[in-house]
Amino acid sequence: MGVPDETGADPHGPADPCGDPFLRTRFAIPTLPVTYLRRDRLLGHLDLAPRTPLTVVGGAAGAGKTLLVADWAATRGRRVAWLTAQMADKGRGTFWAYLLQALRLAGVTLSAEVGLPAEAGRVDDALLTRLAAELSAREAPVTAVIDEYDRVTDPEIADQLEFVLRHADTGIRLVLVTRTEPLLPLHRYRAAGAVTEIRNDELAFTFEEAGDLLALHGMRLPPDEIGALLARTRGWAAGLRLSALAAQGERDPRSYLREFEADRTTIGDYLIAEVLRRQRAETQDLLLRISVLDRFCPALADALTGRADAELILTALHRENAFVEDLGHSWFRLHPLFREILRAHLRARHPGLETELHRRAAAWLRRHGPLGETLEHAAAAGDWAAAADALVGDLALGELLSGPRAEPLAALFSAMGPEPRTPATDLVRAARELSAGDLDRGLPHLERAARELDGTASRPAQEPHGPVPERDEPGGQPRQPAPGAGDAPAEQAAARLGCTLLRVLAARLTGSPSRAEAAARHAEELKQEVPGRLLDRHPELTALLRAHLGAARLWAGRFTEARAALTAVTDRGRATPTASAQVPAPEPASPVRTRTPAAPGRPSTAQVREECLAHLALLDHLDGRPGRAERKALAALAAGHADPRTLPGVGPATLVLAAVATDRDELDRAETLLAAPPDGDDARQPVRDPVTRALHALVTARLLLARGDIEGALEAADRTVAAEEPSPWAEAHAALVAAGAHLADGRPELAVKLLRELPGEDPLCLLGAARAELAAGCPSHALDLLDRIHPRHAPGPLIAVRTALLRAELAGIEGDREARRRLVAQALREARRDRLRSPFKEAGPWLRPLLATPALRPLAEGWLLPGAGTPYTAATVPEPPPMVEELSARERDVLVRLAEMMSTEEIAADLFVSVNTVKTHLKSAYRKLGVNRRHDAVHRARELGLL
Amino acid sequence: MRYEIRVDGELTETLAKAFPELDHVVVSGHTILFGRVLDEAHLYGLLARCQSLGLRVLEMRQAPQ
Repeated sequence: MGVPDETGADPHGPADPCGDPFLRTRFAIPTLPVTYLRRDRLLGHLDLAPRTPLTVVGGAAGAGKTLLVADWAATRGRRVAWLTAQMADKGRGTFWAYLLQALRLAGVTLSAEVGLPAEAGRVDDALLTRLAAELSAREAPVTAVIDEYDRVTDPEIADQLEFVLRHADTGIRLVLVTRTEPLLPLHRYRAAGAVTEIRNDELAFTFEEAGDLLALHGMRLPPDEIGALLARTRGWAAGLRLSALAAQGERDPRSYLREFEADRTTIGDYLIAEVLRRQRAETQDLLLRISVLDRFCPALADALTGRADAELILTALHRENAFVEDLGHSWFRLHPLFREILRAHLRARHPGLETELHRRAAAWLRRHGPLGETLEHAAAAGDWAAAADALVGDLALGELLSGPRAEPLAALFSAMGPEPRTPATDLVRAARELSAGDLDRGLPHLERAARELDGTASRPAQEPHGPVPERDEPGGQPRQPAPGAGDAPAEQAAARLGCTLLRVLAARLTGSPSRAEAAARHAEELKQEVPGRLLDRHPELTALLRAHLGAARLWAGRFTEARAALTAVTDRGRATPTASAQVPAPEPASPVRTRTPAAPGRPSTAQVREECLAHLALLDHLDGRPGRAERKALAALAAGHADPRTLPGVGPATLVLAAVATDRDELDRAETLLAAPPDGDDARQPVRDPVTRALHALVTARLLLARGDIEGALEAADRTVAAEEPSPWAEAHAALVAAGAHLADGRPELAVKLLRELPGEDPLCLLGAARAELAAGCPSHALDLLDRIHPRHAPGPLIAVRTALLRAELAGIEGDREARRRLVAQALREARRDRLRSPFKEAGPWLRPLLATPALRPLAEGWLLPGAGTPYTAATVPEPPPMVEELSARERDVLVRLAEMMSTEEIAADLFVSVNTVKTHLKSAYRKLGVNRRHDAVHRARELGLL
Repeated sequence: MRYEIRVDGELTETLAKAFPELDHVVVSGHTILFGRVLDEAHLYGLLARCQSLGLRVLEMRQAPQ
């Protein structure tokens, strides 16, 4: 039993894709109340379940589904994996992470290779395939029960479940307990006799059963009265049980029941009101108040009532009836039907109290519970100061900027108005505006928060909101100090660190590398004051600091330092999260869970990593390495977050791809990439990051130039990007494009003049200048410039190709035809692998006849010149880029079908998966193959002998 | 879109408050909830709310404007 240590950190504990520990109560088989009536006809029917892969127990709320299956699971002596699917709305990845955990807890050994979903929103098909394969190898099937399956509303999850069910063969028996018809092709299972179904009518109590149930409650009724009761309740389990409970307290139960039979009020409403009326005042009060909670322990219930009697009352209620359910480990919940109706009563009896109850729940959870629930209750109470305090004090501000929780958090805080004004709420407002790219609205919030935080830094901190009754944990467990709460200095430090993170971001967005450096240094100092457990739990904070600093350095042209900051992020994230998933879960003993830290590679940093990858791709592009740039950009895009970016608009990875396409003279593709922002909604908003904006202007200018639109290219290149500090490379590249435009327009002297002002030793600048000099009729100047390209710059292919072509042209002018041919051949060989066509297109009229000569033609055929050639075979390309990752079996299946010219829809149908699933496979196969089109994928797979 | 949802039994005022966006009228052992429904999502949400309150939906129909 692993009690989390004082830091609350258990880096090896299992966690869901958001990095939160699993809620144990989701895996608990409900305990049966003493008044539970075992019904053998239903158990007998369920015993057929092992013969069919699928069992569906479907019925209305309160029909007795869950208890029936729980009884069956307990009495039939088999190991059952139990999952209550309440998390199904938290994404596919979360759902599967929970289901895998349920299987592991039931003793199903799954190898580490199965892994865990890395993202809340998606799950790898490879994972499902491996899971199905390992299940199918089992000797005895495992029974998996998914309770509250009606919460699964994502058809993709249903698809995936069906996939596993079908491919696991006899390795798994799935039992779905649901209020609604599951999203599965049930008709197919019915036709094949492969489903056991227990539906509402069968769950309804028979005459005998109703009599037995009433007897369990100590009531013996004559047959006609049982019949009347049965007619009134239609055999509804909750109705019968509630009538028994309501009648129990009556002096004359029979006449009471006759009253009920005659009444016309809706059954649940009537009965719950009656049952409630029979409780002591304290119990009524407690029941009404806890109806605002999903689940509760006595201490939390006490926090809502302000008394200390919850443990006694809850234990008694659980013993007496089925409507307080024991989830184990001192956690309870109300029967969903009971809870809903109680909530209606709470609103009617105590208007306005609900808000106060949410506020109290938030305050208690702040000290003892997970941040997510704290925020939900604080938001439900409209207590934004408390919500923001909890977020900022937990150092979770970065989660609002990036990662799997960014969207839900932003949605949560979107309801916050301009009040209240506290440093924490201002930080939240600033984070939301800045992450939307709105500096004008974000900066004032940030400045105000910073001023107030600096002002309070020396003052003793105040007590956090509202008095919260201090109580011991149930079961005498020592209370786990919740992160930050009640720990004012740590909270202050966390708030200042969050504020500094936003300052680095703001400096990056305003194009001020020096301020970004200063803020980042300040952040490093503040990190010393923040408890290590908070930093461990929020790897995204450090990652974001580095990513924004890296982007600012990139703007400043300090490429080496930029690369250092960016790779620090991408390298850290490389470890896969599977390592933590191998061992069955150690069950922490504390009834209240604190959040475990997100391990490296957790999704909280995945999005930041992708942005860093995109910026590394940009660095490669600026180094003239299109192949590498493309692979990194594709890898950044492949993870499925559209274009990774902190800002709306066309993101840097897409822009790099467009730049590479321009290098290849694939102008239509470049145009498509530039024109189509991944999400239509964001398209209209201005991009505020200067790096992305400058890149956008440059790529647009180069594309226009390649299209022959000289005016347009000059105008685009001249588009200045507002920034506090200039960017040397952005200016140099703009000058290069402008020079190119002047050259194309027959004004070489203007081009020479433009480039002469360029500083330095940058190879691309020297090349551009050399080209201009040559065009202006000064070959000797050109040669001097080429010789200045420092050998320490190992040239990227683009630079090597351009250099070779310029030297070839110079050799031609000197009449050295042999050297010219050799240099062109060298350029062709360098360019072929990356299909760098644009340097040849720009080279001038002397080149074309040369390419047609027998010596050079074979090198140019197939990619630069029409013709079959043998361009991509291993024989002619000396070193094809190695495969980064093996294809999964499923990805290969899809590729094989792709090679047979099947459409995505046909492949989906053939493999019995959804179109989206096929697309996911394709995307990851493209990424692994380093291609971005079907045709290329098939080609490349053949080339690598994969087909 | 205006809708009418007829549920079995007479809804108490307390429970009717669970549908603050709808009006209701009680007729001979049934309750009719009626009013403007924003979209399909809202409609399904109302059905789910009926289900979670243990109400039996007898009839649901789009009402003339």
